[in-house]
Amino acid sequence: MGRVRRYAMGYVLIAPALLAAVVFLFLPMVVSAYWSFTEFNGIRPPRWVGLDNYLDLFGNPRFLRSLQNTVFFVTFGMGIGPVLGLASALLLNRARFLQGLFRTAYFLPVMTSLTVVGTIWKMMLNEQGLLNSLLGFFALPGHRWLTDPTTALPSVVAASIWQGFGFETVVFLAALQSIPREYYDAAKVDGAAAGALLRHITLPALRPTIVFVYVIGIIGSFQVFDQVFVMTNGGPVQATRTLVFHLYDRFNSQDLGQASAVAYVLLAILATLSYVQIRLSERGA
Amino acid sequence: MTRAIRLAAVLVSVALVVGACGAAATPTPGPTATPTGPGPTPTAGGATPTPAEPTAPPEPVTITVWDYYGTATPVQPALTGFQAEYPWITVKYEALDWDSMNEKFTVGVSVGEAPDVATLDMTWIPTLASNGVLEGLKPLSGGQLNGTPIEDHYTPGALEAMTFDSQYVTMLFDFDAYALYYRADIVAQKGIAVPKTWDEFREAARDLAEDSDGDGKPDKYLFQVWPDTFHWSQFLFQDGGSILTADNSAAAFNGPEGVEALDFYQGFLADGTGVYWGEEQGDQMAAFKDGRIGMFLNGPYVMGLLKSTDGAPEMSGQWKVALAPYSKEPGSYLGGTGLGIPVNARHKEAAWKFIEYMLRLEQELGVFTYAGAAPATKEALESSELTTPDPYFGGDAPFPVFLDTMSTATHFPYVKAWNDIDVAISDAVDGVLLGQSSSEEALDAAADEVNGLLAD
Repeated sequence: MGRVRRYAMGYVLIAPALLAAVVFLFLPMVVSAYWSFTEFNGIRPPRWVGLDNYLDLFGNPRFLRSLQNTVFFVTFGMGIGPVLGLASALLLNRARFLQGLFRTAYFLPVMTSLTVVGTIWKMMLNEQGLLNSLLGFFALPGHRWLTDPTTALPSVVAASIWQGFGFETVVFLAALQSIPREYYDAAKVDGAAAGALLRHITLPALRPTIVFVYVIGIIGSFQVFDQVFVMTNGGPVQATRTLVFHLYDRFNSQDLGQASAVAYVLLAILATLSYVQIRLSERGA
Repeated sequence: MTRAIRLAAVLVSVALVVGACGAAATPTPGPTATPTGPGPTPTAGGATPTPAEPTAPPEPVTITVWDYYGTATPVQPALTGFQAEYPWITVKYEALDWDSMNEKFTVGVSVGEAPDVATLDMTWIPTLASNGVLEGLKPLSGGQLNGTPIEDHYTPGALEAMTFDSQYVTMLFDFDAYALYYRADIVAQKGIAVPKTWDEFREAARDLAEDSDGDGKPDKYLFQVWPDTFHWSQFLFQDGGSILTADNSAAAFNGPEGVEALDFYQGFLADGTGVYWGEEQGDQMAAFKDGRIGMFLNGPYVMGLLKSTDGAPEMSGQWKVALAPYSKEPGSYLGGTGLGIPVNARHKEAAWKFIEYMLRLEQELGVFTYAGAAPATKEALESSELTTPDPYFGGDAPFPVFLDTMSTATHFPYVKAWNDIDVAISDAVDGVLLGQSSSEEALDAAADEVNGLLAD
């Protein structure tokens, strides 16, 4: 009876959060899943179309381009960002002076709205912007970074890495500072060089943190939207159209059925990737 | 596994929230006007007859009006007069911006939080109307606008633009059609003739452009080249082409006229006399002021922008407007602003009263005097106020130029997939302007996509 009472009290305490999750998270997900199998414009009643929305997506060159762009964004964003974060954390970990200042400076962009970051980068990269002025100072030709389809997406990736790598720096730094010094001292006594210390102590000790950074980072990267919307609006010629931008576009065209289908394709991709990452980390643990 | 599912669940919800971000954004509330008196009050200086008031005071209602005009709005100044005349109707006025209006309107209607009246860009009407978002206005109005048939108030072109499936789905409040703005001071200084044909246009652009920094590339007084359907379609129409076939069943823009139009448009970039005006270029007003742009094609609303305190009032006398040069026939896209009522508006009759009031002469003239844009009703178009010489435009009366343009302008096809068609054409135009492919290849590829969209 005591146990029942104890559990009952627990459920009472979590009830508000549970209710909020059901109303604002699970119910919309279920409704959206239903919409993804219908033709629905938000006004007229949904019409069941089975798998048509999903089949249409994979025959739609704009969706396929958005998938390709998103994969590019994730690959380069997550290929460069965490490595930069780790490198700066390793450097900061050795710094005795001004560590706090640099840590704060690196973290500031993380706390800045993506819209603001996108606007600043757009101003820096425009034809009359800071980067071209700098190039001009060194007598180098300027470039239309955001309107050249070959440089538009890399420019968005660069802005995103700049915005996000401070988070990775701070997370890696915290993890580095929790590695017992004794491990390094013992290895040094055995004659281990700096490279060996990194390979055999630092990286294995950081493994859970690396998994965390990549799981969170990949999830966030697949949902890239704000900076694309602000910097390029999906252009030029679809060069920066991403999955969530495609979802937004479908929504704006009052095609809620296909917008929901995009959301569920994104869910499937992320669920699969997250599962693989977590299994890999468990296997290596 | 549980953790993965949990993470994924969060994700989908975030993705959905992003999609619905328009819904989350609350429109900037404007001042809410309140009734000023217990009974009907005649309007001051009203040229149009006031409709008969009901004998018994109707039930008080509050209507919500969404307005995207911005600071130079002609809507807000009309509220006091409207409420004096209709004291039982309180207007909750909300100022939104054009950029986000369409998505907020769509979301608002979808979730049952629609306004009663909204200013709607005419290019949004095909999608909104075909999705059943807009209330048919014939039954609501009884076919009458301020006591006379709706047809008496508009030109045939305007009536056609307001019609979807034999039903008026919006009332045109201002119209948009593109004419040529040019730096009259520089044109006069260089002795350039104002171009009337495409050949003269090309020549004028060459004579006008200057290389101010000596790097061999013109960088001043360039022609503004927008990579979008609005601007390119003007050349298409001028060359005798059309976007879709007459029955709206297939793409027609990839015919010889379309290819020629796009080649001509791209030519301004090829010879360096045009400036590509893409996403990163920012505020065009800065380019008007610093002389980067010397010619551009745009609608009458830019007259208001130029003259406004946020625009370039110091450039008075430096700009003029002329009929856009053409190859075979004058042509432009026809757009503008319509006043619409969503199907799930709560107070449709009161909303119609508001629309009627806004379409009276004094309010329609406000479109010109406040916003510097072009009113849509015949009565306003024929008003002497619109043909008065304007010192800003060198003493010319630029308005008749737009009236001439309107008479030959074409509205975009009213098909359900218009948004997607617009994107496909814009991408093709953009790709050619950026040198990614030839006009023929790009337009053919876009036509294939459009035909697929029309077949769905």
